Amino acid sequence: MVALNLMGAGKSALSTQAIRRLLAVSLGLGATILVVVSLTAAWLVARDQEYTGWVNHTYTVERHISRFSVLFERAEAARRGYLLTHDDRYLVGYRESATALPKELETIHALTGDNPRELAVIAELDPLLSSKLNTLEASMRAAQSQSMAAPTDAATLEQDQPLVSQIRALLMRMVDEENHLLQVRTERQTENAELLLASVLAAGALLAVLSVGVAILVRRYAADLDGSQAELRRVNEGLEQAVAERTADLTRANDEIQRFAYIVSHDLRSPLVNVMGFTSELEVSLKPLQALLHDVEESAPSIPLKAAREAVTTDLPESINFIRSSTRKMDRLINAILKLSREGRRTLTPERLDMDGLFGGIVESLKHIAQERGAEIHIEAPLPNISSDRLAVEQVFSNLIENALKYAKPGRPGRIVVRGAAAANGYAFEIEDNGRGIAPGDHERIFELFRRSGSQDQPGEGIGLAHVRALIYRLGGSITLDSELDRGSTFRISLPRTLLRDRDQIA
Amino acid sequence: MIEDDEGHARLIERNIRRAGISNTIHHFTDGTSALDFIFNGSDGPVLNGPAMVLLDLNLPDMSGTDILARIKTVDKLKRTPVIVLTTTDDKVEIQRCYDLGCNVYITKPVNYEAFADAIRQLGLFLSVIQVPEVVE
Repeated sequence: MVALNLMGAGKSALSTQAIRRLLAVSLGLGATILVVVSLTAAWLVARDQEYTGWVNHTYTVERHISRFSVLFERAEAARRGYLLTHDDRYLVGYRESATALPKELETIHALTGDNPRELAVIAELDPLLSSKLNTLEASMRAAQSQSMAAPTDAATLEQDQPLVSQIRALLMRMVDEENHLLQVRTERQTENAELLLASVLAAGALLAVLSVGVAILVRRYAADLDGSQAELRRVNEGLEQAVAERTADLTRANDEIQRFAYIVSHDLRSPLVNVMGFTSELEVSLKPLQALLHDVEESAPSIPLKAAREAVTTDLPESINFIRSSTRKMDRLINAILKLSREGRRTLTPERLDMDGLFGGIVESLKHIAQERGAEIHIEAPLPNISSDRLAVEQVFSNLIENALKYAKPGRPGRIVVRGAAAANGYAFEIEDNGRGIAPGDHERIFELFRRSGSQDQPGEGIGLAHVRALIYRLGGSITLDSELDRGSTFRISLPRTLLRDRDQIA
Repeated sequence: MIEDDEGHARLIERNIRRAGISNTIHHFTDGTSALDFIFNGSDGPVLNGPAMVLLDLNLPDMSGTDILARIKTVDKLKRTPVIVLTTTDDKVEIQRCYDLGCNVYITKPVNYEAFADAIRQLGLFLSVIQVPEVVE
């Protein structure tokens, strides 16, 4: 169930990734659109300015052309006035216009230098203007020299009329050309403005679409996030429940084993009581038999009693002894199992332990054995204090120190060193001895129930270390061993700083 | 005597006899028949005066403590001495028996001599004990 949930969460994370990619792409797209639109707008605005410049240029050209025609008409009119009236005011007007005209044409020439059509017109206009100005000049000089005589006749006045018409026509062409240009340029400007508007609108629309898309994506993403969070919470709760279920199962199994051990060892004792009891009864019954045999042998030596005597005096007592020693051994083993199972069911009560004091007590209680064996126990005080179950800790260390005393190397005074230090998750205690050591193959075996190592010259059932390890496990610690034959052993016991009180309720 | 193990029963009986007790011993191997005798037997303790109960706790059909409780709740029997003889040396179990009104609790040791001693001492104890009369 848990695995399925996790897979579901994985799938959701995948789509989240897709959404993230989409979001990034959308943002990139949006940014690109913005950049493109800005560039386009900048370009279009620049173009608009350019077109405006051209339109203005056209107006300037037109203004100059019209000024030119005004000057031309004024020159013509002033000459006419002078020729008719000989009034000097007309002469002044004429001079002004006549000198301004070529300059004006030059200006127009400079302004329309980029337009070949206008240049062609100007090229045509230029000689016409020169010849017209010459004619005008000539007629003016003639009029001056004639002084205040009769006014010039109409023929003289009209003699360069075709030239004037030509110039007027050319000027009209130029104005037309400029009007045409103006129209074209204004159209272009309008087009440009429309393009600018269209591109800005298009970009706006695109961005709007994009932002709507992004909004949808973000909403979906947020929904997905919420979903996966909820899923995670659910999976977590499922896990907790699964752990609780497993723990309950383990607790049941453990209880079952403890009860099994208890019941088995308990029920095994019942038949054992019978075996021991009736063995003793046999022994009791044997006594009158032996007495009878003795009497018979004395009173009637002729009866052959060799086989009966052997049975009654040797075989039966020997058998009874074997039965007895075996049942005693079996009783000790059963008691050991009972003790272990009882220890396993004892509730541990953690308390602050003064380890120096605790070891002092252990050493005191083992003093007579140590003296008997000529061994010394050295405790490297101060030892770190822990919070644990006093009885269990005492049993562990007194068992280990007693073992160290028991399995000293014959002929070498025993020396046992106890030390303690902070370790990875708690404290590590070491019981080091210079005893007979343990063969490498037995390092694991000695912690098993009823297993012993080395020469079996010391009393014991092979329970101590099994008991020690079971206790240490219950205290939440571990035990390891370093040992070499004939060199000594070092047991390392790590225990947590604090034994959790509710550990037993959980386990 | 309520004891499901024939061997134990025999050993107990022998040692009681050796201690010089010659009273009739009724032996039951299960709780039901024992209760039937105690409450309904024509020569049982309820109908026929003083008795003493030797009780094993591990019985095939019920727990010895149930029998103990039954005996100690009946007026006519509550002064009847009950001696619990069992292999259990569990402290909780022992306390429970005394709470229910058990008079003596003896653990059956595998060491037969100790066991025989205990039974014989019990026999001596029984020879001086004043068994109360059942009030009619």
